[in-house]
Amino acid sequence: MLLEFSQEDERFRDEVATWLTEHLIGQFADIRGRGGPGDEHHFVRERKAWERCLAEGGWTCLGWPEQWGGRSATIEQQVIFNEEYARAGGPGRLGHIGETLTGPTLLAFGSDDQKRRFLPGIRSGQAFWCQGYSEPSAGSDLSNIKTRAVWDAETALWRFYGQKVWTSLAHASDFIFVLARTDPKEKGHRGLSFFLLPLAQEGIDIRPIKQLTGTAEFNEVFFDGAACGADDMVGAPGDGWRVAMGLLDFERGVSTLGQQMLFQVELDEIICIARANGTARQPAVRQRIAEAHIGLRTLRYNSLRMLSGGEDGSLSREAVIYKLAWSNWHRNLGKLAMDVLGPDAELVEAGPYELNRLQSLFLFTRADTIYGGTNQIQRNLIAERALGMPREPRGDAAKE
Amino acid sequence: MDFTFSAEQLEFRDALNALLREEVTGERIRARWESNTGWDEGLEAQLLSMGVFSLMFPESLGGLGLGMVDSVLLAEACGRVVLPEPVVETMMIASPLLVDILDRGLGNGSVQAIVDDLMAGKSRIAVSHPINPHLNFAARADWIMAGSGDGVYLLPVDAIQLTARKSVDPSRRLTEIRFDPLPEYCLAQGEVGAALLRAVLNRGGLATAAQLLGLAENLIQQSVQYAGDRTQFGRPVGANQAVKHLLADVAVQLEYARPVIARAAYTVGFSPERADFAVSHAKLAATRVAALAARYAIQVHGAMGYTWECDVQIAAKRVWALISEWGEEGFHKNRIHEWLLQPNALIGPEYTFGRRSLMIPSSDVGQCASTARTTK
Repeated sequence: MLLEFSQEDERFRDEVATWLTEHLIGQFADIRGRGGPGDEHHFVRERKAWERCLAEGGWTCLGWPEQWGGRSATIEQQVIFNEEYARAGGPGRLGHIGETLTGPTLLAFGSDDQKRRFLPGIRSGQAFWCQGYSEPSAGSDLSNIKTRAVWDAETALWRFYGQKVWTSLAHASDFIFVLARTDPKEKGHRGLSFFLLPLAQEGIDIRPIKQLTGTAEFNEVFFDGAACGADDMVGAPGDGWRVAMGLLDFERGVSTLGQQMLFQVELDEIICIARANGTARQPAVRQRIAEAHIGLRTLRYNSLRMLSGGEDGSLSREAVIYKLAWSNWHRNLGKLAMDVLGPDAELVEAGPYELNRLQSLFLFTRADTIYGGTNQIQRNLIAERALGMPREPRGDAAKE
Repeated sequence: MDFTFSAEQLEFRDALNALLREEVTGERIRARWESNTGWDEGLEAQLLSMGVFSLMFPESLGGLGLGMVDSVLLAEACGRVVLPEPVVETMMIASPLLVDILDRGLGNGSVQAIVDDLMAGKSRIAVSHPINPHLNFAARADWIMAGSGDGVYLLPVDAIQLTARKSVDPSRRLTEIRFDPLPEYCLAQGEVGAALLRAVLNRGGLATAAQLLGLAENLIQQSVQYAGDRTQFGRPVGANQAVKHLLADVAVQLEYARPVIARAAYTVGFSPERADFAVSHAKLAATRVAALAARYAIQVHGAMGYTWECDVQIAAKRVWALISEWGEEGFHKNRIHEWLLQPNALIGPEYTFGRRSLMIPSSDVGQCASTARTTK
């Protein structure tokens, strides 16, 4: 056990802090602190430019191997980068899905050709990715995928028919990874394959879904003959479920560090407001702020323990726990923000329905306990996998 | 940054676990309830031969030189079997206090002699802190170290007036203690005494948190077993979401409390002057999971859960007792928000572990200035 940073780590911290101070200025001054949860639709163009600036400075894809442009950064360095990024007010990372999901998945499961074609675009902040998993009939029951990928021998292309839904930031992305059924005779997690598709092509229709925030981060993505090549499948036909689940492990790993830093910025903002408007003197509010603060510390310690590896840090056991833990915490934070603002929380100050950051936070966090696996599904997984309890009886249609 | 325990730490924990599992069963705890002393001297002798009472003394004093991080694993193991004897208190509270006293050159030869006797199994010592109105097993101790005001006193047990009080947890033998704080018993007072007592309080909070973690494990294990065995409507009750989700919630809080306790142990061990926050966090996290485990364990066991016969009560009653020892929930929550909501608290993302977490609060923290803008 060693819960400190080394001198070398602290020098790295200074390097990060200095670079960010020197670059988050000028054209990027306006996007400081923007683009976090509930604010992801704002300043997309400017934040893409920022991603390129980060990339030129060598600050994207830190954990990737040097061969692919990364720094093979240690966990400590990645922690420090995320801490300093949040402290400097770095905007929400549009490159996040490519850097922390697509990249590690390709490094683990992709072919050399796929790595050569897709990793440099992510590393250089040019190519943005979104995630094609959920469908109208495949929500909690994710393996019930209906989107088909059909091999077209004439053009030697895979062609896609079907629909994805709840696809975050599809409208701002260049590529989508798609879990699709390649063997129509199979049900459930068998007969699925994992594909990499460009979004700018015929046969793809992206339609925004307006949420109760009045904004549209989520989209429906319709496929009607959109295509990719044989070499755009990750793994072999039928490997899709394994690759898709491997990707979810990355989602629960290093990628949590950046998320928690955004949370910390939100919490600090709420604490500052509570001090300024006097709600910090109310015992009930003080208790909840204390709860929120230690709750976030708990999330951080657990991510770091998980990333420490070793017997008591096995990813498999804690990974299924993380979603339930952070989503409950964040949902409560949203409500705390409203209660600290008091009656002013209700007032829409700008535009027809332009919410301020904390109002967006509150409304958007209503979704946290639903997307990415509902709390109910998470509890099933924890009870059945971590505790070894008897399985939930399946309906007839799901029996294989 | 590394949150893992070493192989040696885990091996010692496993050895203790193996002994305790064998020797501290529900049946034998119930036997203690019926006995006058409530104490198993055979087990005490086995723990002595394992070196449990020498663990926390430095090698220069003839001990094994273990630290707080090592000891939380052992405290958890003791909680796991709902050990009645105050082994954790001797290990994590009394021993380090004796070391503190020797380090500061306080007391006289008598303290050194007590340490030797303790390691040899010739005497027992209990520590009373003003935050706890009752002391467990005071009558079994030969020596009491007691805090009063900012003074730390060392008294032979027969210099103290003991009034026995019954506990809802029949494993505990509580006592109210009264003594005259005479100068001849005084080891330290003033700033030194206050500092010693503050360290005792944090070690007590940590020791209790670690035991609560073990108690929560005990309760969740009993509940998972029962929910898998008991059938209704033709299937195990544990297959139902309404039942399994209760235990999933406990499992989440249990796993998530572990590194919080580890962090507190690390801080108490290596930066004790900064340990208030970490210990309060640990006590709160452990309290929460143990209280939830006790409540849900009874619910999951159905009517069996509130019978005298069912072993759930053994662990649940210990949880309820420990929750208010070494500072109840309100005390620890207050310590956290009083620190957090002071004007100069360092609350930014970089203050969790990094060098900045060690810095003195200054006026140019700037957190509020940089974030207020984003509400617009």
